[in-house]
Amino acid sequence: MTAADRVLSGEFVNLRPLEVADAELTFHWRSTERARFLNAGARTVEHQADWIAGRPESEYNYVIELVDGRPVGMLSLTGIDRVHGHAEPGRFLIGEEAAVQGIPAAVEATKLLYGLAFDDIGLVRVCGLAAAENTLVVKWQKFMGMREEGRLRNHFFLDGRLQDAIYLGLLVDEYRTTTLPRMNALIGAARSR
Amino acid sequence: MLDRAAVQEIVLHALETLNDERAPEDQLVPGPQTRLFGADAELDSLALVSVIVDVEEAVSKASGRTVPLTDDRAMSQEVSPFSDVDALTSYVVKLLSEPA
Repeated sequence: MTAADRVLSGEFVNLRPLEVADAELTFHWRSTERARFLNAGARTVEHQADWIAGRPESEYNYVIELVDGRPVGMLSLTGIDRVHGHAEPGRFLIGEEAAVQGIPAAVEATKLLYGLAFDDIGLVRVCGLAAAENTLVVKWQKFMGMREEGRLRNHFFLDGRLQDAIYLGLLVDEYRTTTLPRMNALIGAARSR
Repeated sequence: MLDRAAVQEIVLHALETLNDERAPEDQLVPGPQTRLFGADAELDSLALVSVIVDVEEAVSKASGRTVPLTDDRAMSQEVSPFSDVDALTSYVVKLLSEPA
């Protein structure tokens, strides 16, 4: 078993490796309104299955599952450069919004992925692009410690129009001093009082 | 100094801002008892972060004070500041009532 085949276990959610059998579910998620800020995906379930089957071993692609086994979203770590110590978290989508109300699914999934990136693989930086109009995600990433490192004008054609992309980056030290405490705080806030 | 009504207005406005990002069928109806996070809550963690960021910024702008809402102290409160609008309002008012 490779590291990419391993389930990453949390308190509220687990990250389970994406499988071809997830094609129909993930195709459905990617066809919904909330996926409008992701790059265009497969046009059919069959193409989605082909896309999943074609993921290289160098990528970590996960389905976010609640601990009771219900799949609620997806998340990936790609572009891993072990020489320079960086990678890109992405393909982040909560497909079952009603199922995660009051549950820190997004935050714990991100915590598990960053733990993989910084603690298990030993990277020193994660970085990537977000659509400027995806305000929820940009706000989220900045709260989680990512810094805006640049802006690419008219970089994406999404939602029927060109829009800027924001380049965001997080260093391992910032992860430990800012991101991790905030993630733990949000996870703690979801525990019953 | 911000009074309780003004703080509650800031919290409610943060929830209304969130509605701009939500589908028509998922619109929140913000009120003092609106559950935020935890059991039977209305928000997921992305939405909660949006509310936290907006409230911290608005309170800071209106009062000139920094009110950290996700530090150890916030997490150690007997009643979570994020359980509902009332609890978050009370916690912010409590922070503002203390010496700067």
